[in-house]
Amino acid sequence: MSQETDIQRDDPMIAAEYALGLLEGEDLLEARGKAASDPAFAQRTAWWDNWFAPWTDEMPGAEPGAHVWDAIAARVSADEAQSPPSAASNVVLLDMERKLRRWQWTAGITSAAAALALALFVTAPGSAPVSEEAPLIAAADAPLMASIPIGDTPLRLGVTYIPASEEMLVSASGLSADGVHDHELWLVPADGSPLQSLGVVVPGEERRMTLPTEIASNVGDGVELVLTREPIGGKPDGVDAGPVVAQGALDAV
Amino acid sequence: MNAPQPGAPMAEPPQPSPTADAATVAREELRAAMVRLAAGDSAALEEIYSATRVKLFGICFRILGDRKEAEDALQDVYVNLWQRADRYDPQRASPISWLATFARNRAIDRLRTGKVRGGAVPVEEAAPLPDETPLADALMVDAERDAQIHKCLKGLDDNAQTYIRAAFFEGRTYAQLAEAADVPLGTMKSWIRRGLMKLRACLEASEAA
Repeated sequence: MSQETDIQRDDPMIAAEYALGLLEGEDLLEARGKAASDPAFAQRTAWWDNWFAPWTDEMPGAEPGAHVWDAIAARVSADEAQSPPSAASNVVLLDMERKLRRWQWTAGITSAAAALALALFVTAPGSAPVSEEAPLIAAADAPLMASIPIGDTPLRLGVTYIPASEEMLVSASGLSADGVHDHELWLVPADGSPLQSLGVVVPGEERRMTLPTEIASNVGDGVELVLTREPIGGKPDGVDAGPVVAQGALDAV
Repeated sequence: MNAPQPGAPMAEPPQPSPTADAATVAREELRAAMVRLAAGDSAALEEIYSATRVKLFGICFRILGDRKEAEDALQDVYVNLWQRADRYDPQRASPISWLATFARNRAIDRLRTGKVRGGAVPVEEAAPLPDETPLADALMVDAERDAQIHKCLKGLDDNAQTYIRAAFFEGRTYAQLAEAADVPLGTMKSWIRRGLMKLRACLEASEAA
């Protein structure tokens, strides 16, 4: 034990662990959060990457099959058809499928959750929420709302966000606790950075909270929310988030 | 006076690889293609693909240890690159170094989704691909920096050397390394962290020199 305590795990070291891919669970989420929000940390990660990258010269090259390029070209042109490059910087309002695909590709999510969310999308295409009719341009301070269907039940989780006060209202009034699980609500930042916890949903209650700036800055029209099933008390430290049981998007009213 | 004659004939072994200049040109072309891609020019992607696929596929294969998985990962690498080309800062990193890191990170993401059965094989057991291709000079990240990090790594304890490299080449987590080495997690963390601390000091000293 004294072995471990004499080593100071400072940010440059966490950046090295992150660059090498040593971390998992909570440590990984934390490092991703830092990389997304702390320029000094991101820079230190890039510094390590730059030092480690020459090691890839020791990995022999190999020729991929010709079909790989065809698949890439097809995906890129499908992407282009959906969203011309000129609009590429404004990705807030893409359709559900594209967002989920992007989501699969980005690093900023625990992989288990990504895989599960994707599986959910594949098996339940009819459950896409109401985002299609969302107005293209929302006033910056119009309230945003999501009504998230819970599984096959008629129940819905209501989420309202008031940009002016950065307040979020989570209404779970129709839900009841099963005594074994809690459900945790997450925001999926559009830029692919890590999921941000919005806390455990309290069945039968309506909860009002003011979002911290680092979360509020990621809230916008069309932003995704997912609900995961966790042990009582919410996702434990050091493990990946539980299965995604419901999902929706915050849309301008 | 015997000033060096630029044109003087020198006894040099035949050079099968491109000259350093050709490599530099290729590198700058790649950098320019990355900048065009970031500006939304999708044609640049094909250029980048032809120049870098051999190296990036080699990386994906090394991490994933499975040809099919590596091809899927490679697909994601380039599509993701097309979508997020603006993340690359041409002032900050060489394009090949950045792309190599990018590909390795995507491959590790895929490894962590658990869809890949065994994941990467240990360095000593890595089965070569039947179509293994030597890397062109233009695809080498940086021999000088490679030499430096090797030198610094040599200064670490054996365990630290072994497992820091294993983490990089096999994409393994602390827990997986500890399991493979059959030591407690805390021991593995302390080996690696102690090593990283020394490695950082050595690399920083080399930069200051």
